[in-house]
Amino acid sequence: MNFAHLHLLLNHFPIIGTMVGLGLFLISLGGKNEDLRRASLIIFPAMALLGILTFFSGTGAQGAIKKLPGVSEALIERHQGAAMLALLFMEITGALSLTGLWKLHGTSRQARWNWNMSAVLLFSIVTVGLMARVGNTGGDIRHPEISSGQEAVAEGSMMSKMVHAFEPAPARVAELMTASKWWWAFMMDMHFVGLVLLIGTVGILDLRMLGFAKQIPIGALHRLLPWAMAGFGINLVTGVMAFTGMDQYYTYDWAFWLKMLAIMLLGLNVAAFYLTDAFESVEHLGPGEDAPPLAKFIAATSLFLWFAVITLGRYIQSFSDTIAIHK
Amino acid sequence: MAPPMFLQAIEDTGFSTWLRESESPFAFYFILLIHTFGLALLVGANAVVDLRLLGVARAIPLAPLQRLFRVMWIGFAMNAVTGILLVLAYPTKSLTNPDFYIKLALIGLAIWVMQKLNTQVFQDSSLSEADMIAKGASLAKYSLFLWFGAITAGRLLAYTYKYLTFPS
Repeated sequence: MNFAHLHLLLNHFPIIGTMVGLGLFLISLGGKNEDLRRASLIIFPAMALLGILTFFSGTGAQGAIKKLPGVSEALIERHQGAAMLALLFMEITGALSLTGLWKLHGTSRQARWNWNMSAVLLFSIVTVGLMARVGNTGGDIRHPEISSGQEAVAEGSMMSKMVHAFEPAPARVAELMTASKWWWAFMMDMHFVGLVLLIGTVGILDLRMLGFAKQIPIGALHRLLPWAMAGFGINLVTGVMAFTGMDQYYTYDWAFWLKMLAIMLLGLNVAAFYLTDAFESVEHLGPGEDAPPLAKFIAATSLFLWFAVITLGRYIQSFSDTIAIHK
Repeated sequence: MAPPMFLQAIEDTGFSTWLRESESPFAFYFILLIHTFGLALLVGANAVVDLRLLGVARAIPLAPLQRLFRVMWIGFAMNAVTGILLVLAYPTKSLTNPDFYIKLALIGLAIWVMQKLNTQVFQDSSLSEADMIAKGASLAKYSLFLWFGAITAGRLLAYTYKYLTFPS
């Protein structure tokens, strides 16, 4: 198992998942099916999370194959630039979907169409198109029978040239991120501000479910969730930007990958909270009322994993160069 | 101007050297980790109280939020202890950096505001929710501003120091 395996294993999910999400969304429009729409609004953020992991595994995959005969650096760079643009749209789609779910919650089943849903539709269509291109440009790297080396970059169709004009040059992005130590310091500062917002809000909700400050009704605390998501969003953006700035540094670091694993598990934990009856069982709990065991378990898992994320993040620096393959 | 000699004396002690140079995962990075946990507890809990006073999540009743001040003090205690250890590990680095004193001043002010919030707004049981907000909203603004400044000043310590260790 190396990073190339990991990248190949992961990369199908965000491409196909986004297509499935869009498909369900379109069907929900035709059939006015609220459940299908909800499902697609859950799939988009899930793919946005997996997409980040896939993106991160790309650097290691590049390290694993770049010395092989017949592998063109130009093709890899084109693929990476395509992935950056697609990831941007995928994250926006995910964020819009979460906003949509937040608005849907508590409103009547006949929820109105709003700007939010139009934006999800627009961004998910663009994302599916861009992801198809990411898949194609990625496939070109190792399938010379489909197209060959430099010409593929130079020629391309009208459409691919147009899209390419919007794709960032990965080396240029890395340079921008690391050119000034003040910019780097600013990103790290915002990463801490995001951490405080996230841990403050989610941590208090978790503690309440575990029995701390029981006088606070849980549904009321849950209204803080957009602030938690804002914190997570700040950290996602600053985290991805830091990665693009020093991808070699993060890729060969065990603490970094364990941190990503913990974040993915947190994604599952959130899904477990909202998709089982755990959330419903606590939503209307008033002052002094105790959360049922499942909700307590999920709250404890959340606290544990968030503290693991902080711990692993703090140890990234001291674990640099702990993965020794294909550097 | 050379840094004062006592900084070198601190750095030369076995404890300071161990904190700084030990390969053990429980030395410097562990202390930094606890310092981050403390930050999350202290500022996280305080920020939630501040946001509530400024009109976020109005469904949350104010009175029981008083319990959060205990979380803040636990976070503060963790950070006072680990903060001293971090200064002992790199005394020259921190004490010769003006940013370090800015950070301390901002924390001092933020803690003062936090204590004012606790005693004047949350511990006064004669106040209605509307009174609490009228009294607490401007304190909450100062609090958010000061904590943001303190975190920023803290982060900048990693980028602004003149000496890492005592110059030989």
